[in-house]
Amino acid sequence: MSLLLQSLVLGVLLGGLYALLAAGLTLYFGVMRVVMIAHSAFLILAAYLAWWFSTETGLDPLLSLVLTVPLFFGMGVFMQRVLISRLRPATLTMMSVLLTFSIALVIEGMLGFAFSGTQRRIRLDYGGANFEVFGANVAVVKLIAFALAAVSLAALFLLMKKTQFGQALRATIQHPEAARLIGINTDRVAGYGFGLGLATAAVGGTALALDSTFYPSLHWHWIGPLMAIIVVGGLGSIPGAAIAAMVLGMGQSLLQIPLGTTWAQTFFYIALFATLMVRPQGFFGGRLAQRF
Amino acid sequence: MKVKTPYRVAGLAMASCMALTACMSSGSDSGSAEDGDGPIKIGISLPLTGDFSEPGKGVQRGYEAWADYVNENGGLLGRDVELTILDDQSNADRVAADYEKLINQDGVDLVFGPFSTRLVVPAAQVAQDYGFLFVEPAGAAEEVFTQGFDNLFYAAPAVADDHYNYLADAIEALPEDQRPKTAAYAAMDDPFAMGTAYGLKDRLEEMGVETVVDEVYPPNTTDFGSIAAKIADSEADVVVGGTQYQDAVNMIVALQQLDYQPKMAAFSTAPTNPEFPEAIGSKTEGILSPTGYTPEADFPTNQEFVDYYTEKNGTPPAEDEANAWTTGQVVAAAVEAVECASPDPECQSQLIDWLRENEVDTVVGPLTWDAEGRPEGAHLIQQYVDGEIRIVLPEEAKEADLIIEKPAW
Repeated sequence: MSLLLQSLVLGVLLGGLYALLAAGLTLYFGVMRVVMIAHSAFLILAAYLAWWFSTETGLDPLLSLVLTVPLFFGMGVFMQRVLISRLRPATLTMMSVLLTFSIALVIEGMLGFAFSGTQRRIRLDYGGANFEVFGANVAVVKLIAFALAAVSLAALFLLMKKTQFGQALRATIQHPEAARLIGINTDRVAGYGFGLGLATAAVGGTALALDSTFYPSLHWHWIGPLMAIIVVGGLGSIPGAAIAAMVLGMGQSLLQIPLGTTWAQTFFYIALFATLMVRPQGFFGGRLAQRF
Repeated sequence: MKVKTPYRVAGLAMASCMALTACMSSGSDSGSAEDGDGPIKIGISLPLTGDFSEPGKGVQRGYEAWADYVNENGGLLGRDVELTILDDQSNADRVAADYEKLINQDGVDLVFGPFSTRLVVPAAQVAQDYGFLFVEPAGAAEEVFTQGFDNLFYAAPAVADDHYNYLADAIEALPEDQRPKTAAYAAMDDPFAMGTAYGLKDRLEEMGVETVVDEVYPPNTTDFGSIAAKIADSEADVVVGGTQYQDAVNMIVALQQLDYQPKMAAFSTAPTNPEFPEAIGSKTEGILSPTGYTPEADFPTNQEFVDYYTEKNGTPPAEDEANAWTTGQVVAAAVEAVECASPDPECQSQLIDWLRENEVDTVVGPLTWDAEGRPEGAHLIQQYVDGEIRIVLPEEAKEADLIIEKPAW
């Protein structure tokens, strides 16, 4: 029983992290039908920056967010305006795979060049710290990562629902031509949307770095599961991605008890195949994804 | 030359220089291979990126130090040695293609092995097809020796299954009521990592230690929370990790997060890595690990190796560096004895035959091999004692006493 509870707790924490890591990915697709293979490479980049920041300054890696979030936002806007907006709309989705694949390779190569292939880990005094809730141990670092996810996703949600920019962004997602007709500068909005997605990568990468070892080519291990999450959740839907991440994270954690690690990992892909067969638009994507 | 557009011209100049060098070097290569005068060319593929990049780079440092040392001391058969090292990205397909290229296109005289079983097996197959001697620094799992290779020699003291033999002996020597009752095993789905853990598992089960968890995880596992939860829930007395590097670090932290306190914790490979205490912090006390090498060993050539390596790299060599150096020593011994180093099948088969029959003195001790290339020795057991990794077993080699009951981490 305590193992079940423990696995449930771990699953929730893991699901939260997955949700944060996948949020940007679904946003890019929603805003401009871009399949952003380099998203996980940016996660690793953020993890390295957090590590570098904390080894150079001796400060807590979380403080690096003050620098990396605006930096990544800027990089996102720049990337969208300079690279992605130049792709032809007719072949945008397919070409964006190639373009962002190459960006991922560039990031991986530069990380290897700058920091070597050595596996890094941020050494935290509270790395092993934990407390007990109803017989299940909750690791402080995992809780921090979860809190980062909750705060960023809530902020993203409020931004989308309550602000004028959010309305413009949603209008751009739903119908770009109509949005342009009512005077929304969809190019600029798309740029900011992309920047926002990359800003979540800065937060996600830092959260990831708190509790795992990373190395330049690690991003290939992440992109598959993250893609599975956003397809199951419905391409373009942030709440969908969050719910799918939660379900898949918990499922993986719980299935590990009877099946072992190897089979539990295939759960993501089984869910992906099942979604594509039964409900190809994803469970929360609705009208948007059907057009794809 | 007048420079008008500096960047463009510089780029052009650089490109043409590179092209020229490429032509020149390939020209001189084919010449030396024929007359057997130039340097002895040694082809190697190593995992410099990907899963095994950490130990792969250690092996690279060891090979390079060995080559420099040989060249500073008169070379091999009076010829310099020259290493060609390719990066196989920890990829088993890539490693086979690399050796194919080294032997066929680059025309190397000798080959040295890559790091770890998963890459050694495909690489050894290529070497076997071309009749090349294949001495390797890090393919210790049983499956390396059951493929029918007759050209392979493992340049280390013991195969994976025997790594924990001294520890198993020590546990067996304990009075019955002090022995652990239960044990949990978690191993990476990798022949070497699983070999070490299951070698100890077989011994412990013979002693009546009950196996309560037996997990195997894929090499790309990033989350160790659930595995740790299973182990913690079992409250096993002993935890044994068949690990490489990052998996051990992540698993240990995950176990600490669940407040699991085993009486004994043993992990392969990672704890002997200098990065390990860096990553884990102060909570390493009592962690056990088998090792095939220590800089303190008083084997004849070891002191010279340690001094040379330390002067060159600033830090003493670790196991991967030592096994690479050992590989060099083993091949060099054979080359000196039969006085040839060429891709010619006759020369290669003489080298192979010589190693079958003879003992070689190396930095990890005198080595001999059985017919399949298994070395016939055992591994030392190291443990973190007072924050330093020290040899605790066997008795005659120990630097510190074995801590039977691991302090809390």
